[in-house]
Amino acid sequence: MGPLVLNGFISSNWNLLIAVFIGMAFGFLLESSGFSSSRNIAGVFYGYNFVVIRVFFTAVIVAMVGLLYMGYFGWVNLSQIFILPTFLPSMITGAVIMGVGMIIGGFCPGTSFTAITIGKIDALVFAIGLYIGIFFFAEGYPFLEKFYLSANLGHVTLADVTGISLGWWALIFTVFALASFWITASIEKKVRKRIKDYKF
Amino acid sequence: MNRNYYILTAIMLILAIGTVFIHERKYTSELPASELLWDILQPSRFVTTDQVAKRIIEKDPSLLLIDVRPASEYNKFSLPNAVNVPFDSIETATGQQYFGNPGTKVVLFGDDGILANRVWILLRRLDLKNNYVMRGGLNEWIETIIQPKRPKQTDPEISFEQYNFRRAARLYFTGAKVVTGNMKKEKVVFKKRKRAAVAAGGC
Amino acid sequence: MENSIKKNNEKYINPYLGGVLLGIVMLISIFISGRELGISGSVRNTVVETAKVISPKAAENSTYYKKFLKKDTSPMSNWLDYEVLGVFLGGLLSGILFKRIKKPFIEHGKSITAKRRLIYALIGGILFGFGTRLGRGCTSGAALSGASTFSYGGVVVMFVLFGSAFAVAYFFRKLWV
Repeated sequence: MGPLVLNGFISSNWNLLIAVFIGMAFGFLLESSGFSSSRNIAGVFYGYNFVVIRVFFTAVIVAMVGLLYMGYFGWVNLSQIFILPTFLPSMITGAVIMGVGMIIGGFCPGTSFTAITIGKIDALVFAIGLYIGIFFFAEGYPFLEKFYLSANLGHVTLADVTGISLGWWALIFTVFALASFWITASIEKKVRKRIKDYKF
Repeated sequence: MNRNYYILTAIMLILAIGTVFIHERKYTSELPASELLWDILQPSRFVTTDQVAKRIIEKDPSLLLIDVRPASEYNKFSLPNAVNVPFDSIETATGQQYFGNPGTKVVLFGDDGILANRVWILLRRLDLKNNYVMRGGLNEWIETIIQPKRPKQTDPEISFEQYNFRRAARLYFTGAKVVTGNMKKEKVVFKKRKRAAVAAGGC
Repeated sequence: MENSIKKNNEKYINPYLGGVLLGIVMLISIFISGRELGISGSVRNTVVETAKVISPKAAENSTYYKKFLKKDTSPMSNWLDYEVLGVFLGGLLSGILFKRIKKPFIEHGKSITAKRRLIYALIGGILFGFGTRLGRGCTSGAALSGASTFSYGGVVVMFVLFGSAFAVAYFFRKLWV
């Protein structure tokens, strides 16, 4: 039956109101999980705070496993949902740049927006930076277009690329994520003994 | 560590292992026979020629008329703004795009009611909804709308109202725009929608 | 964990609970709208809109803006904008509920000044913004949502993004530790 909007159960005008509520839940969870602090986010890369890994991977595995069950019970037609298209060269480059930007800036777009709401000026500056960065990209697009659109694989999933079914991939990711939770918990304990100025 | 974390880890693992054994549901979307039979028995799937005429005159934007007769007969005569989908091309992709669009009511018609009725059952079996059959087809259309019979004096008043409506409708359909074989048919423009809509998205 | 909350005076919800709820929000979004969460696309929309206001002609001639100007007729194109509006409201709600809203302030590590933190935040933002366009989305739109729907590109972005951050983390440790 789902996605409800695409199959005519809900009109597309309601869709926008629903978008606000979904965004609210998203923003609430980001803020209340502690993503509004850049030190919490950056902490994952120095081993003193793994909250990012925990929230992120838990969300991914819950969504992955949940999606497959929803498809199985016939609640969602999996062929109708949006799958991010794959353009390997530009996406890898973009991800490398984003990683560096995350370490320097301490936020990612979503977390910076929630941090603005609780009054962080650094988050506001980061968001202005985002705006400028995208503006640079738009202006430089004629030079980047070829690279941007190269090696278009289309809307492919892991199963399309590897031939291993999505169920196995969900299991692999779940095992990987659960293992990382247990390992990071012990790393955190050791590292936190060494750092004194940061309150946990 | 907390004992709850052991339990949660185990639950998550079991759920994930479960996904390996389930298979994605195939969306061939064929209606089970019992449901099909139930739907066939519903009289609401038929519409009368009067109802169709009224909708056409009102220029109902959600109405889509589908002529299921062969193209040669469609070119001779059809209802205004009807689209020709011959019954043998219902199952093709071009034929399918007209059916099951949300917000559109499809009225099927042929020379009599039989062909359109068959097409309706075929469509319903493919789990496509919002289709209706014009009872009696074009024969009934001619008899009721184009050449309405004057009611007898003994008939109830509602027959006279119906007759007046039909006369007015007749004027509408034959007076202003006569659709005959000699006239060049205008191409019907219909906003097509892809059947299985895929969500647009992206960050 | 219990101890740390008291020491920090910050009430964060359990990260695993947050993660599960976030996953469920994602599933609800997919169930209702067929699409996933995202942020950076909305910033792009803002850039496109500004370009349209400042110089409509230049925007129409630019190959990049043109792609998004056309889409304006479809109501789905601003789904993200509404969602991001919700993100602000949701963040605000959580800030009020957990009493984290303060006067505007700058959070920075002990070894750097507030001014340097702002400069770094700006540079980081510019890099991140540029990267989101190449990567077809940010941490939420590409990595989180992409990986959740098993998108090949999404999974690649997720690992490369975190990997790249880990790789350069050592050089910027002064900022955070």
